[in-house]
Amino acid sequence: MTLRLLGAAVAVAAIAAPALAAGPLTMTTRMMVEKRSAAADGTTRTTLVPAVRVAPGDRITVVLAYRNTGPAPIGNVVLANPVPRNVAYRAVAPGTPAPDVSVDGKTYGSLADLRVRTPDGATRAAGADDVTHVRWRLSSPIAAGQGGELAFQAVLK
Amino acid sequence: MTATGARRWLLAGTAAIASIGSAQAQTVNPNANGTLAGTTITNTATASYTVNGTAGTATSNTATFLVDRKVNLTVVPVQNTVQVNLGQTGAYTSFQVTNATNDYQDFLLSANQTILTGILTGTDTYDLADLKIYVDSNGNGTYDAGVDTAEFIDELAPDGRATVFVVGNIPASPIGTMAQVGLQVRTAAGGGTGTPGAVLVASAVNLDNQTDVVFADDDNDGLLGYDALRNGAGWAYGSYDIGVHAVNLTVAKSASVVSDGVSALNPKALPGAIVQYCLTVTNGTLTTPASGINLTDVIPANTTYVPGSITIGGLGTNGVCLVGGFPQNDDGTQATGPYRGSYDAGTKTVTATIPTLLGGTSLAASFRVKIN
Repeated sequence: MTLRLLGAAVAVAAIAAPALAAGPLTMTTRMMVEKRSAAADGTTRTTLVPAVRVAPGDRITVVLAYRNTGPAPIGNVVLANPVPRNVAYRAVAPGTPAPDVSVDGKTYGSLADLRVRTPDGATRAAGADDVTHVRWRLSSPIAAGQGGELAFQAVLK
Repeated sequence: MTATGARRWLLAGTAAIASIGSAQAQTVNPNANGTLAGTTITNTATASYTVNGTAGTATSNTATFLVDRKVNLTVVPVQNTVQVNLGQTGAYTSFQVTNATNDYQDFLLSANQTILTGILTGTDTYDLADLKIYVDSNGNGTYDAGVDTAEFIDELAPDGRATVFVVGNIPASPIGTMAQVGLQVRTAAGGGTGTPGAVLVASAVNLDNQTDVVFADDDNDGLLGYDALRNGAGWAYGSYDIGVHAVNLTVAKSASVVSDGVSALNPKALPGAIVQYCLTVTNGTLTTPASGINLTDVIPANTTYVPGSITIGGLGTNGVCLVGGFPQNDDGTQATGPYRGSYDAGTKTVTATIPTLLGGTSLAASFRVKIN
């Protein structure tokens, strides 16, 4: 019951966000799934299609598109994407700058530098499965009317 | 909270954790085969920024999709062959069905007694009567008549297992010794406890925000078998082998005078003449070998056994020995050939032991006596 209430709250927030319109930064997220098909030359081609047919084990790509719709450049942009429930982070998508990741939502860094606390009190090196948040810091401001796309690959548990 | 209260709380907490641990060991993890079908996956991103020195935040839309039903199962025989007896009722083979789907599923069961040669070792020669399929209700792996009565697998959890029995009666006089059965297990919709769901059909059109049915099962029995790739069903095979089998064994005996010391051409049964007795044993059941045959014969009164005269393995028909077999030792020790013979001087008994007599064949044993 608690989960359902939380989900409803998120949905309300999502609907409300575009209506705010005060912020010049708009963001659109979508989830794609890898579809393998045989190409004419005999190789297997992997294409990204909207996540309609998704079963456990399928590779999905979470895409985050952003755009500055305001008149002024936007600086210090930090885009954060919590890894969805039941989805395991795998890697950054080709063409996207490397993000900072976190295993607890508080400490961000490269995956190799992160450690996870085990139930017995010790720590171990973090793996892709441990990632809970993905975050990008844009080094340069977004000029008016400009935008971009960021993406990371994951797998449905 | 007082110190005592805190300790009590700690103790209670420990007890709770311990009980959760034991419960998990017994119940299956619903997510064992991946996220449950029908689960909604949502993604929302947030951002923070500054415009002209003023901080702001933004939230993206929420993207969602539904996790589809990835249908998979395994069906394996617990043992390839069970030994049964003639006329046995309630003979059964056992199979294990594992739900590899990412949701609770029903599984419908059916059997086929027409099995192509080559799937199993041996040849399918007879069928069982009154064939039924039951699910093991108490998990003991043994068919309990009247206790295991469910005819389909109800609400099997992801990664859950069920044992299935294919039960039938062995005919009293079957052809051959082996019956083979195939068990078909079809994945059906779960949800209604106590009632079998409808057989799943792969979704032809994939709709957004709908739990599609995707078959991910393999062809688990090769080209000869009934199963096919990605059909939501699995097959497994087992055989009922009649280990103890009655055979139609007959023995014929004849005697012929070999020599009388007088006439070489037409010897008569005179005192001092040598008489050969010929025992021909025939296995009249064509397809079943007879094993452990013991022939015994007490020599007639007023005759004396001729030492070293037992031979076994000769060809013989209607009690007449045509060709001599392997000579045997009188003391029962192994001589050449697979047979054994012996003569007991106390009981005046001749014994011939034949380890195996193939179906539809006959074999002769002979010995000689001297008329006193």
